[in-house]
Parts: sequence; structure tokens; C-alpha cells
Amino acid sequence: MIELQGLTKIYGDKAAVDDVSLRIDSGEFGVLIGPSGCGKSTTLRMINRLIPASRGRILLGDDDVTRLPAEQLRRRIGYAIQSIGLFPHWSVAENIAVVPGLLKWPKSRIAERVDELMALFHLDAGELRDKYPHQLSGGQAQRVGVARALAADPEVLLMDEPFGAVDPLTREVLQDELLRVHQHTRKTIVFVTHDMDEALKLASRIALLNAGRLVQYDRPIELLTRPADDFVRSFIGKADLGLKLLSRRWVHQYQQHATVQDASLAQTGYTWETDAEGRPICLHGGRLNAEDREQRTEVNQEWSATPGMTMKEALSRMVWFRVMVLPVLDDQGRLIGEVTMHGVMGQQPCA
Amino acid sequence: MRVASLKRPAASRDRLLVALSVLLVLLVLFMEHLAPVFRTLFPELNNPVYRRESFLQLTLDHLLLVLVSSLISVSVGVGAGLFVTRRSGREFEPMVSALAAIGQTFPPAAVLAIVVPLAGFGFVPTIVALTLYGLLPVVQNTIAGLGTVPPTTLEAARGIGMTQSQILRRVELPMAMRVIIAGVRVSVIINIGTATIGATVGAQSLGTPIIAGLVGNNIAYVIQGAVLVGLLAIVSDLLFERLERRFTFGE
Repeated sequence: MIELQGLTKIYGDKAAVDDVSLRIDSGEFGVLIGPSGCGKSTTLRMINRLIPASRGRILLGDDDVTRLPAEQLRRRIGYAIQSIGLFPHWSVAENIAVVPGLLKWPKSRIAERVDELMALFHLDAGELRDKYPHQLSGGQAQRVGVARALAADPEVLLMDEPFGAVDPLTREVLQDELLRVHQHTRKTIVFVTHDMDEALKLASRIALLNAGRLVQYDRPIELLTRPADDFVRSFIGKADLGLKLLSRRWVHQYQQHATVQDASLAQTGYTWETDAEGRPICLHGGRLNAEDREQRTEVNQEWSATPGMTMKEALSRMVWFRVMVLPVLDDQGRLIGEVTMHGVMGQQPCA
Repeated sequence: MRVASLKRPAASRDRLLVALSVLLVLLVLFMEHLAPVFRTLFPELNNPVYRRESFLQLTLDHLLLVLVSSLISVSVGVGAGLFVTRRSGREFEPMVSALAAIGQTFPPAAVLAIVVPLAGFGFVPTIVALTLYGLLPVVQNTIAGLGTVPPTTLEAARGIGMTQSQILRRVELPMAMRVIIAGVRVSVIINIGTATIGATVGAQSLGTPIIAGLVGNNIAYVIQGAVLVGLLAIVSDLLFERLERRFTFGE
């Protein structure tokens, strides 16, 4: 748990962070967001005291962070930054092992921990252990950076735009992995970004800052549906608010029963064809126009959904393939339901 | 001096290092055996090979001068470089850089002229001159090397909980080491050449036969001294090159 109480940072006569109070509970994924210069990074760096606070208190669990020696405090807090900051003269394994080394863990435990983390981030230990940072791809280096931050099993993980420097494709993958790791470890995370889509995808709570002040601190869905003022409204962006809402909605929330009967064709305008194991092969019909009803759509990786997928992505797939329905598959590829355009339009997105 | 280390593969540079080291040792030990060669080259000379002191003795004296002066240059130079890159010493940086530069612009002969009346003839004034002369590359490269450590790496080191001295020992120095060694390499090579002038104030070195040859109009002496100094410089350069390679990471 992290609690900021009246946190303030003054440079000269200007407050970079002005009286910010918020609380991020254990296991929560908190995101600090705002335009450049809003004080989000400064706030983050006051938590591990890379920047001393001018006023206010920061509680880490029950401890006031200013009461702890700075180095000891930082070893309890994982820290990952945009440019990764891997040590170029150390191998991947040595980079990950650095904080456990500072904490004087026994060698065998450190080696075990390195293997464990590399496995957690899908890094091939055999291949990458002894590589140097400049031999890694951007995505690999970023994973190593996060693995290093988690190495000593810190209570809290601070991340300062960690995915800002990687390409959009890799960023998506890294975000998915971070979510998976967060679910796996239930670490308290404080994550700084200026990308609203990233915040909506990752956060369980979002703190929106502007000019050093905390404007709104809420669950993502609240931020979207009940913006505190015009600044929040404009920062979210009205143009694709509907899609943003759907990015916080999951397929399992919209999932309906899928009928595998010829009779349904007349009723709904489409029917599924499955194999003996219950895996869907194709869809007959499901198009907007009645004359297209004979059309078959093959079920494959691109044209299907999983219960954990966002509705934004599911909708995008429907639009792309021009089909009004999308099969929902379990991890064995069996048909467990469907989401439909009707279903998307029929449910209140703010609910 | 650097010709040998032009962009050739490491293995061939290592072979060159071995070959030149063997040649150096042979010449130092068996220069007298080349007397017939020098006699044919310079028939007008009575003594075509320098024999007043053995070349082994001269080489060891020469190396001692270089070693002592380089040790002082490196410890003072790296120390000064470290001091001016710390927060407390940052304002001294222009001054230290300027002092080191002055040390190098002073011709060593001029330093000798100043130090000899103060410290007398022989070893000490030569060491003073060589130390001053070799200081600049060490100071400059220490500052430059520490400057190559990216601020984000330093922030990461601080952020994960390293103390200032851990950051210096485990991050800054190892990362700057290659550039610092490059500075030491230049300093040592310069001093191997410059140590010859110690002979003018009575510090025995490989400069002694050169000076004797110049004074006595014996070109063979000059060649014998100069060839050994040259070989010594090339061999040291190749050795340092190997050392630098060791601090290049994962290439």
C-alpha cells in the first residue's frame, strides 16, 4: 500500500507537484497520467526519494519513506524506467541479479530467482542469460528491465513510462505481459504514462494530474463516464469515447450462448458448423444483407475472440470481417459462446 | 606507433605482439652480435656498437623511469578526474583540465631546466618531467570516460538502491575503464619516447646511447637506442590494446 499525503514539490517559486494526496492499495495497478510537465514523473520519483519532497508525507505500508535510509528504501521498491537503464557492462543474468546481490542473498537463491524471472517473462534463459544488453531487441531489453525491478520481490513496483521507447506492436505485447505478471504476483504498481489507451488498458485506478494538481483519481470506467471537469473530458478525448469504454469491457461480459442448429438460421440469420470436439469450423450467414446469408466465414485466429479479450478488439474484428457475430473460444479452441453486434449495442456501456 | 593496431583481426594483432616482443628481447640481449652489420653499414666508425652499459641495463633503467612516472601520473590523473566529476569537486573541473594541459604544453626539456636546479641531476627531475607530461591524457580520458556513462544508467543505479560508492565501483569505473585505459596507453607511450631525454640530465635510459651518439657523431649508437625505444613503444601499445579489448563488452 502506498499513500501520498499532501505531497508537494517546489522548484524555485513554482510548484511542480501541488498538494497531491492519494492512496494505492495493495495489489492495485495505479496509473499516473497527464500532459507533459504535469508532475507525474516527479511524483513517482518522490516515492523512492530520487527527488526529495518539499512538503507532505509518503507512506509505504506503515513506514514513512523519509524515515528509512534512501538506499534501503529503494531496495524495497522495484524501479523500471523508459530508457530501461540496463547496465551495459553486465550480462542479462547479472543485470537481473543486481538488487538481490545488494541485499546479499546467497548465490544459489539468486541464480534460482534469475531463472524464475526469465521464465516468467518468457525469456529463453539458455539463449539470453549471458547476452549483453546491446545484443537484445527492444522488447527483450524492456522485459529484462522489468524483471530486474521485480528481482528482489519488492513490495511496490514503480514504472516511469517503461514502454515509451518501444514500437507499438511490442508495446501491446509488453502491456499484456505486464498485466499477466501483475495478476500472477499481485504487486502494487505505480505506473506513469501519457498515453490514455495504455492507462485504460492497464490501470485499476487512474490518477489524472494537470499542472501539478491531482484532477481526478478514479477507476477507469468512472473517469470515462463521470469526468470531474472539462480538463478531464478533453484529456480523455470525446471522439472515441465509445471505443475507449469498450476497451474497459471484456468479451465474457457480453458473451451469449451460441446455437449450433440449422434451425437457428431462419431465426437469427446465421448458424455455426463445428467439428466432433466442438471446435467451430465456419459460420454460415451472419452478414448484414439477407442476400449474403449463404456466405461462409472461416473461423481462425483473426476472426474469433477469447473471454479475456476487450470488447474494443472484438468489435474491431467484427467490423474488419463485416460479420455481425464473433465466436468465443476457450483455450482448447472449442466454441463456448458468441458476441454479436446486437449484444454490443444492446448493453449500457457505462454499467 | 598505432600502425600495428590498425583494423586487423585480434588474432593477427596478437601474433604481431608475440613476434615484436621476441625481437625486442633478442635485440636487448644480443645487440653486440650485430656488430658486423653495423660495421658494414658505417665503416668509418671505430666502435659500431654501444658498449659502455649493457642494453639490458639501459632497457631496465628506461622501464623503471616510465613505470614510476606512469604510476604517479595515473594515480594523480585518475584521482583528479574522479574528484572533478563528483558533485563536490565539479567547479574545479576547468582548473584541473587547464593545469593538466599546461603540464603537457611545457616541453619536457624546459621542465628539466626548471627542476634540475631544485632537485639536482638524475632520476628525480626526469620523473617530475615525465609525470607532468603524461598527466593530461589520463586526466582528460578519466573525465571523458566517466562522462560516457549515460545519466539514465546512473538514475537506474540510484533507483535500485546502490550507494554512491557502489555506483562508482560497480557502474561508473567499469563502464569508463576502456576510455581511461586508452588515456593511460597514450600517456605511457608518450613517456616511453620522452624518457630518452632523461639522459641529458644524467638519468640513465635508452636515451643514453642516443645522446652519446649525437654528441660523439656516432649514428650507429643513435640507431641502436632509437630502435629499442621504438620497439618498446610498439610492444607496450599492443599490450594496452589487448587490455582495452578486455573492457569492451560483448562485442
